[in-house]
Amino acid sequence: MIGNFFASIGAFVLGLVEAFFAGLSIAGRTFRGVFHPRGRARGEVLHQMYQIGNRSLLFVTVTLGALGMVLVFQVCLQINKITGDQSQVGPEFIRGMVHAFVPILTAMMLATRVGAGIAAELGSMTVTEQVDALRMTGVDPVDYLIVPRFLASMMMTVVLGVYATVIVVLAGALMAHTAFDVNYAVFFVFEKVTWGDLGVGLTKLVVHGGAIPIVSGYCGLSTTGGSEGVGTATTRAVINSSLTVIILDFVISAIGLMTVQSGV
Amino acid sequence: MIRCASLSLTLSHRPVLHELSWDLAAGSVWGIIGPPASGKSVLVKTLCGLFTPQRGTLHVDGVEMTRLPEPARVDVRRKMGMLFQNNALFDFLRVWENVAFPLARQDPELSREELAARAGERLRAVGLAGSEEKWPSELSGGMKKRVGIARATICNAPVLIYDEPTAGLDPVTTSKIYDLLTDLRTRHASTVIAISSDIPALRRFVENVLFLHQGRVLYRGPEAGLEACEDPVVYQFIRGLGEGPL
Repeated sequence: MIGNFFASIGAFVLGLVEAFFAGLSIAGRTFRGVFHPRGRARGEVLHQMYQIGNRSLLFVTVTLGALGMVLVFQVCLQINKITGDQSQVGPEFIRGMVHAFVPILTAMMLATRVGAGIAAELGSMTVTEQVDALRMTGVDPVDYLIVPRFLASMMMTVVLGVYATVIVVLAGALMAHTAFDVNYAVFFVFEKVTWGDLGVGLTKLVVHGGAIPIVSGYCGLSTTGGSEGVGTATTRAVINSSLTVIILDFVISAIGLMTVQSGV
Repeated sequence: MIRCASLSLTLSHRPVLHELSWDLAAGSVWGIIGPPASGKSVLVKTLCGLFTPQRGTLHVDGVEMTRLPEPARVDVRRKMGMLFQNNALFDFLRVWENVAFPLARQDPELSREELAARAGERLRAVGLAGSEEKWPSELSGGMKKRVGIARATICNAPVLIYDEPTAGLDPVTTSKIYDLLTDLRTRHASTVIAISSDIPALRRFVENVLFLHQGRVLYRGPEAGLEACEDPVVYQFIRGLGEGPL
């Protein structure tokens, strides 16, 4: 009984270690594939940019627009109860969005939409032997399938992040103005945003954008079984991508605070 | 052409191949038969280097495959064409692009027009002229098999592997597929390995048979000698008997 318990814990830990190193290996092959492309489909990066970027526009607009409104409404409501001075809402809101909220929220949304899509597509290719067929013709599945998604996701996460910042700030300003009579000129003050904030925000977008296809791609390529396996891989991709984004966000924030960013 | 000695493979902590030894002479035609989940597909994928055995050696055209890193296996795989059990057609490519895919990788200098012409030619050979621009999802089961065969054979590889070339097909289409495989075999003198559950049709096509059961070889030799095999599993399986160890 106790032996079985320790055996199952050991198997779980070994599985985690194995998955970690397999994921690292895919990350390494992906970075190598960026600089040494071998047999990648022509136009695939553009196609993936459309799939990842354009197809996420509505999702990002609606979610972050609504979130910006709710956040500003709640902050203004609480400030009204204490001092009533709304002059700092806009500048602090913009700064917080640029270096903290928008990168992680955009990445989390992409982890669910794009991560699930990548894992489902690659998982279904794995169980239908299409990945084996690629290997038979001398094509590295990581180079052919993950690298274009990696490049496209990195670029489009930055684009979507910039777009999302605009949307969330506009939505917040609209809410502050209509519900609490905050003047637009008072809200749109960008002086608090430093180059360090911009750098940290952009770094997070690039890193998160790159991590999602690697983690999801690994989940897809390690799919076993049939359609049930594809479902499991998709769920794993969303959870693992989200966790990876959270961990990376924490690390980059900590490094940013210790180096380029001014105090909170 | 292919020689494996004491090949053993374990997948997900489950032994799949046990001490398997097998010699395939160039130009020979082998059929692999056996009950479901006996390791037939895993064996042919191992021969292609898609799985790495834990023990034993595997030589393909003189090259020891088991210790080769993945990139180095590509050169060996170029000597092989394979029809997968599920056809494995790329659903993001049109039919002609699927057929031309291995050719484009083998000879990157070929233009798109040349690739299309070669793929069209191969599709005509398998009786699918006019299907070039279709998507795999628009094809019937038999048509998908034919596209898979066209893709497996377009590079005229010296070793051809067909995993269940007639699974799920009606007798007429099955007969046409085997005629096609025989024609291709005769024209290119390739070494052929075929896996099929349709034992009578397969036995008409092959010269030699390897019988696998739970990853072990129970019979290896001429097709004609299969009837004389006294192993109870082989006896029951090839006669389709309800009573027996299976």
